[in-house]
Amino acid sequence: MVRDYNNRHALDQKLRGTPKPANADHLEVGHWQAIATVLAHVGLETAVERALSSTPELSLRYCGPGEWLVVSEVDTPVGLMRRLDMLCGTQAHVVDQSDGRVLMRLSGPCARRILAKGIGVDLHPAAFARGGSTNVLCGHIAINLARTGEDLFELIVSRSFAESLFDDLMTMGRAFDLSAAFSD
Amino acid sequence: MASLITCPHCGVRPKEEFAIRGDASLIRPAPSASDEAWHDYVYVRANPRGRTVEHWHHIAGCRRFLVVERDTVTHEVYSVVDGTAAAREARR
Ligand SMILES: [Zn+2]
Repeated sequence: MVRDYNNRHALDQKLRGTPKPANADHLEVGHWQAIATVLAHVGLETAVERALSSTPELSLRYCGPGEWLVVSEVDTPVGLMRRLDMLCGTQAHVVDQSDGRVLMRLSGPCARRILAKGIGVDLHPAAFARGGSTNVLCGHIAINLARTGEDLFELIVSRSFAESLFDDLMTMGRAFDLSAAFSD
Repeated sequence: MASLITCPHCGVRPKEEFAIRGDASLIRPAPSASDEAWHDYVYVRANPRGRTVEHWHHIAGCRRFLVVERDTVTHEVYSVVDGTAAAREARR
């Protein structure tokens, strides 16, 4: 029997046909994003971190000791896996998460105040600087939060929680007129 | 309940990010130990008033097991260390 499997984005139902003009505070979701989990073998944490940070195309998101989410802006999921295998093939476990996680980009002057409604971490730049990232609870959902700019945050969430997190974020942002759309 | 825990890997976090897995001071009996010793180890727990040592799991953060020493009366947290580090220290 032949079946057709459609590769639909986790937020397809929420975002299809949403108006494009973005408000000052905006939540942007990429159509696809290459993401992988890297877990260093015991004792090789610093070697793996050094190998990963030597590549400017890769963005490292801290999860825990010896564990990162690696995000690539330029690679396809397959390309990212190939690159990571070459960088740390025998030193770490690498698992493709491109279909398993959803990345959302929250930007705008009130981004911090929006996040503060659901996150118990101090987001002042002195405490959570640009380039910083951490696993954190947002409402009742565990996410990885990264600061990529003064008023720019990236949230990575498990695919199955993406719709729920999206709804939470829109509720958190309602007072600030938060808009949302797929990126082009 | 102590409401802010300073995770050695993640920094200061609200207790909602953690799951408490119970007494960290128990020592597993030898496999050949008596049934009573095993029964005590598996089932019998004190409910102490004051200083206690517990395993906390940072579920929504680094997902590491931590050993938290806190006071159940004053809610003061005395120390938080990584579970692996604590076990290594104890083995020494
Ligand atoms: Zn932690």
